[in-house]
Amino acid sequence: MAKLILLCLNYIILRSAVEAVFEDQVGKFDWRQQYVGKVRFSSFDTHAQSSKKVLLATESNVFAALNTRTGDLFWRHVDKTGPEGNIDALLQHGQDAVLVVGNGRLLRSWEINVGGLNWEILLDSGSFQSACLVGQQDNVKHVAVLKKTAISLHYLSNGHQKWIENLPERQVTIETVDYQAVYSDGNGEVYAMGVVPHSHITVVVYSVEDGEIIKQVSVEAPWLSNIQTSCAVIGPGMLTCMDPATVSLYMLDLHLESEMTQIPLQALGLEVTPGFHPVLVSTQPNPAGQPLSEFFLQLGPEQYLLLQLNNGQIVTLRDFKPAMLASFATAGEKTVAAVMSPKNKTACSINLFNAETGRRLLDTTLIYTLDPNGGKPEKLYVQAFLKKDDSVGYRVMVQTEDHALAFLQQPGRVVWTREEALSDVVTMEMVDLPLTGTQAELEGEFGKKADGLMSMVMKRLSSQLILLQAWIAHLWKLFYDARKPRSQVKNEVTIENLSRDEFNLQKMMVMVTASGKLFGIDSKTGSILWKHYLDNVPSNAAFKLMVQRTTAHFPHPPQCTLLIKDKDTGLATLHVFNPIFGKKSHITPPALPQPILQSLLLPLMDQDYAKVLLLVDDQYKVSAFPSTKNVLQQLQEMASSIFFYLVDSSQGRLSGYRLRTASEPRSAQLDLSTELIWEVVIPTEVQKIVSIKGKRPNEHVHSQGRVMGDRSVLYKYLNPNLLAVVTESTDLHQERSFVGILLIDGVTGRIIHEAVQRKARGPVHVVHSENWVVYEYWSTKSRRNEFSVIELYEGMELYNSTVFSSLDRPHAPQVLQQSYIFPSSISTMEATLTEKGITSRHLLIGLPSGGILSLPKMFLDPRRPEIVTEQSREENLIPYAPELIIRTEWFINYNQTVSRVRGIYTAPSGLESTCLVVAYGLDIYQTRVYPSKQFDVLKDDYDYMLISSVLFALFFATMISKRLAEVKLLNRAWR
Amino acid sequence: MSNTDRAPLLWLLAQAALVSAAWCFTDMETGPGAGVSTQPNGDRFKIEGRAIVPGIKTQDWVSAARVLVEGEEYVGFLRTDGSFAVNDVPSGSYVVEIITPNYRFEPVRVDITSKGKMRARLVNYIKPSEVIRQPYPLQIRASGPQSYFMKRETWGWTDFLMNPMVMMMVLPLLIIVLLPKVVNTNDPEMRKEIEQSMNMLSPNPELPDVSELVTKFFSGSKGSSKAGGSSKGTRPAAKRR
Repeated sequence: MAKLILLCLNYIILRSAVEAVFEDQVGKFDWRQQYVGKVRFSSFDTHAQSSKKVLLATESNVFAALNTRTGDLFWRHVDKTGPEGNIDALLQHGQDAVLVVGNGRLLRSWEINVGGLNWEILLDSGSFQSACLVGQQDNVKHVAVLKKTAISLHYLSNGHQKWIENLPERQVTIETVDYQAVYSDGNGEVYAMGVVPHSHITVVVYSVEDGEIIKQVSVEAPWLSNIQTSCAVIGPGMLTCMDPATVSLYMLDLHLESEMTQIPLQALGLEVTPGFHPVLVSTQPNPAGQPLSEFFLQLGPEQYLLLQLNNGQIVTLRDFKPAMLASFATAGEKTVAAVMSPKNKTACSINLFNAETGRRLLDTTLIYTLDPNGGKPEKLYVQAFLKKDDSVGYRVMVQTEDHALAFLQQPGRVVWTREEALSDVVTMEMVDLPLTGTQAELEGEFGKKADGLMSMVMKRLSSQLILLQAWIAHLWKLFYDARKPRSQVKNEVTIENLSRDEFNLQKMMVMVTASGKLFGIDSKTGSILWKHYLDNVPSNAAFKLMVQRTTAHFPHPPQCTLLIKDKDTGLATLHVFNPIFGKKSHITPPALPQPILQSLLLPLMDQDYAKVLLLVDDQYKVSAFPSTKNVLQQLQEMASSIFFYLVDSSQGRLSGYRLRTASEPRSAQLDLSTELIWEVVIPTEVQKIVSIKGKRPNEHVHSQGRVMGDRSVLYKYLNPNLLAVVTESTDLHQERSFVGILLIDGVTGRIIHEAVQRKARGPVHVVHSENWVVYEYWSTKSRRNEFSVIELYEGMELYNSTVFSSLDRPHAPQVLQQSYIFPSSISTMEATLTEKGITSRHLLIGLPSGGILSLPKMFLDPRRPEIVTEQSREENLIPYAPELIIRTEWFINYNQTVSRVRGIYTAPSGLESTCLVVAYGLDIYQTRVYPSKQFDVLKDDYDYMLISSVLFALFFATMISKRLAEVKLLNRAWR
Repeated sequence: MSNTDRAPLLWLLAQAALVSAAWCFTDMETGPGAGVSTQPNGDRFKIEGRAIVPGIKTQDWVSAARVLVEGEEYVGFLRTDGSFAVNDVPSGSYVVEIITPNYRFEPVRVDITSKGKMRARLVNYIKPSEVIRQPYPLQIRASGPQSYFMKRETWGWTDFLMNPMVMMMVLPLLIIVLLPKVVNTNDPEMRKEIEQSMNMLSPNPELPDVSELVTKFFSGSKGSSKAGGSSKGTRPAAKRR
C-alpha cells in the first residue's frame, strides 16, 4: 500500500516538473503592495501648476514620487540598505531633485518626471553636514555641500564641481571649528557657519564665483553648542539662535561684522515650557531670495508662536496655543502658515494663516480625524496652491508616529492613506478565518453531546432550516446584485462579513512591523482590516508572534500572543490579542520582571484550548502562560519529556535543557525550573554560530520513504527534534574561511552529522524540512553562490516505524549530500508547505532582483545520478548538472517584483495542492502556488463550454444515429 | 544522455587548464583574485556602461531599472539616456546585472585590478576563470522582454486531428469507408478474386469479423458480404505481387 502511495507521489512529482503563472491569472490570486518606508524628507512638486507629484526620501534609503491624487507610486528608486545608501538631504529645484547620499559620499540629481538619473558624482570623503541650493539673480544654478572640513559648489546642470575649498580650521583659539550649516540668499555669497562649542560662532563667507573667502567673522557665543538644532536664518540674513538657558534669542547680522544682540523672551512677554528646548522654524521660499522675516518659535510641546522680525525688533504676530504642528508653505508669491491644533479627543483642525500678518484665512479649516489605533501626528507637509480667484488653497500630508501618511483635502476628506509601517514587517502569521454563524451552528450540532432522540431531531431540523434560510438569502442577494449595474456592486471585505471560504484559501494575515504597529490584512484582497499601534515598543525590539488558540475552538475567541523583547536589556512584555479583530484580549499576561532567554509554545492545551507558552528567564526559571491549575498539572506530568535548547552565540555555547518541576505537591504554586541535559561548545576563536533552524511544527510528512528503482524502499530519517546549526569561520581570508553545518538532536545533544564547506563564507541561508537541509553560501574560490543539500535516510529498514524517539535510535542515519552552482545571490529562502505533505515540495527563493523563484526540490536531490541507469530513470531522477538554472517562468510573481525581500511566509490551505505564500520586505506580495499543479480541483481554465458541447453533440449524435438505424432496419425488413 | 554524463569530467579538465591561465592574470596584476576583502583605504573605482532596450524609449523603462553589482553589494541607477555608472567600487571581480521587471539583460563579469584596470567578460559560473572578452565600458543590450508566463493549452481542431491516436483511428476508418467506392465491386472478375483471397485469408469462417460488421454499417444499401470482401481486398493484392 505504501508503495502504491509512493508511486502516486512519483506521478505527482513527474507532473510537477513545470509550474508557472498563466497570463490570464495576473492579479487573480495575487496582489502586491509597494511601500517606501518612514518619510524623512518630503517635497511637493510645485514647478507646474497641475503637477500631481510629491517626492519622498525615506529612512529606508528609498527615493520615490507619489501621485497626490491616488497615493500610488509614479516611480521608486531603492538604494542600498545601511549607511551607504542613507539619504542625507533632499533639495528640489524645478524638475530636478538633488540628493546627498551615504554621509556625503554621492551627489545625485534626478529628473522627477521620468524618474531617471540626471547625473551622479562622487564627493570627496568627509562627513556631511549640510547642503543648500545657491542662486544668483533669481537663477538657481548651483548646489553647495558643506562637509566637516571642506565646502564645495557644484553645477546643478551636470554636477561638475565649480570649486572646493578647505574650511579654515582654527581661528582665534586653538579649538577646532565645527562647521554645521550653509546658507545662501542669492547675493553671490555662500555662508558657512560653524561653532566652537561653548565659545564662539564662526561665519565664513565665500564668493560663488571662485570660492574666494570674502569675509570671516567670529562672534562670541559661549552658550551655543549646535547650530542645526537651535539656529535659523531669518529675513535679511539674520542668524537667529535660541538659548534655552537664559531663555533669550540671539541675533547676528551675517552681512555686518557685529556682536550678537540678545533679546530676552521675557521682554516679549513669552515663557518657555520648563524642560523644553525651543525650536526655530524659518522658511526660504526661493533659494535665490532671502528667507522671510516671519518665523515660528516652538515654546512647548503644544505651543507655537508666529514671530516677525521688523527693523531689528521682534513682533509677535500670533500665539498658537494649543498647537501640535506648524508648517510654512508657499504658493506663487504668497506664503502661508498651516497650524494644526487639537479640536477634541478624536479630531484635530488645521487652519491657514497669512504668514505676513498672522491673520487667519477664511474657509481654510480642515478637520483631521485621529485614528484611535494609530499614533500621534508627527509632521505636517503642506501643499499650497493658488486658486482661480487668487486665494490660497491647500492640501496636507500628515505623518504620524506609526509611519502612516494621510493626504487630506478640505474640509477633511482623506484622499489616501499609506501605512508605511508595512515596509518593515518583522514577523507574521496566517490565521484561519472564523466560520460564519450558520457554519458555527452546524459545528455546534455535531460538537455537543446527544441528549435524546427527539431533541436531536429537532436540532437537526432547526439547523437545516437555518441553512435553507441562509441559502435563500444568498440567492436573493445574487438576484439583487444582478439587477444593479456591475460598477455599483461592491464586494468589500469588512470584519463583519469575514468568513472562511470552502477551501480555506482566504486567511487573516497578522503582520508585526518594526515600528510596533500590528496589522490584520485579508489575504485575498490585501485590504487592511484592522490595525493596532503599540506605542511603548522600544526601538530595538525583537518580536515573536505565536498563535495560542486558532479559530477552531468556537466559542472561545482565537488568541495570538506577541512577545516584545528589548534586545539590549532582554526585558520582555506580552501583548495578547484577537487576531481576527485586532482587539486586545482582556486576559492579563504575566508580568515578566526578568530578562527572557527563550520562549516555546507547547502542543499542550489548557481547558480553554489555548496552547501553553513557556518563558525561560535568565535565572533558568520557567513561567507558563496561561498558568491555570490544569496547565500546571499537565506540565507536572509532562515535565520529563519537555526539552528545549538555548543558544549563546557570543560564547559559542549550545545547551539542551529539560523542564523540571519542584516536588512541592501541596503548595498551589508550582515551581518550574530547568535542568541541563547536554552542552555543545563551538570554540568562538575558530567559528561562530550564525543561525539555527529547526523544523516547522505544523509540517506534515506524508511518505515515510522513497521507492527505489528496484522496488525497495529507502526510509527517510524523520527526526522532529533535529536542529541544523550553521557556523561561519571567524577568519575571513578567502583561502581559509569556511562554512560549517552541524545536525544536532535537540533532545540528546547528539551530533548526527557535520559538514564543512571550505573556501566559503556567508551569508548562509538555510531551509530545514522533512529529512533534508538545503543551504546556500558564497564560494570564495570560484566567486559564485552555491547550493548544497543534505538528505538523511534510515536505510532500507525502519528501526521503529510507529514512533520516533530521539532517545532510542541506535543507528546513525545515512547521509547524502550534493552541491550545485546557483547563478544569482539570494535574499531569503523558504520551502512550500501543504496540509498533508503529499504535494511535492518547492523552494521559494527571494532574489535581489525582486523575483521569487519557485525551484522544485527535485532539482536539489543528492541522489541525482551522474550516470543515468535504468533504475534512476525508473525513479525519475534528473541527471546531475552542476548549474541550477533560473527560468523566468518559475518566478511566481512575474513582473511584480518585491524589493528587498526579507522573509517568505508559507501556509497550507484547505486544498492539498495549494500553498499560500506571502513575501515581505519593502513590498508585500501574496499569492498561491501549486507545486504539483492543481490536482485536486478543476483548473481555473477548465473548459466547461467544450465539455458540455461535446456531451450535447454526442447525445444528439446517438439520437440521430438511433433514428437512422431504425430507418435502415425498417428498409431492410421491407426488402 | 551519455553526453551530459561525460560533460562534468571534461569541464574539470578544462578548468584545470584554465586555472593556470588565470593565475598568470592574477599574478601580473594581483587584481581579481584578491577581490572582496580590500583594505578600507584602497582605491575606489567606477563601473561604467550603457544599457539599451531596442525599440523602446529610455524614459519608458529607466525609472524601474537598477544596476546591481554582485547581488546588492553595490547599486547604481540609470541615467535618462540609459547610461550608468556605479561609483565607489573597490578592486575585485564582480557580476554586473541590469535589473528591470520587464526586460532581460545578460549579466557581465567585470574585473577591476588594484590599479584600476578594467575588463569585462562573459559570466561563466562553471568555469569562473574562462575569459571571453566583452566591450568595456559595458554595452548591455536587452535580449528581449522577460517571459514570465506559460502558454495556456488551447484547444484547436488541428491539435485534435494531428493527435497520433486520432490519426490511427481516423485513417483506417477512411479506408474502410472509401475503398469500397474506389474498387469496383460489381466487376465479376474482381469479385471472384476477392472471394478467393477471402477464403485463403480466413481459415475460420465462423469467426465474426469486426471489419465486416463495421462495413455492414457504413456501406449503406450495398451488399454486406461484397463490402466486407472488398475491404480485405487490398491485402491479397499485395500478397500476389
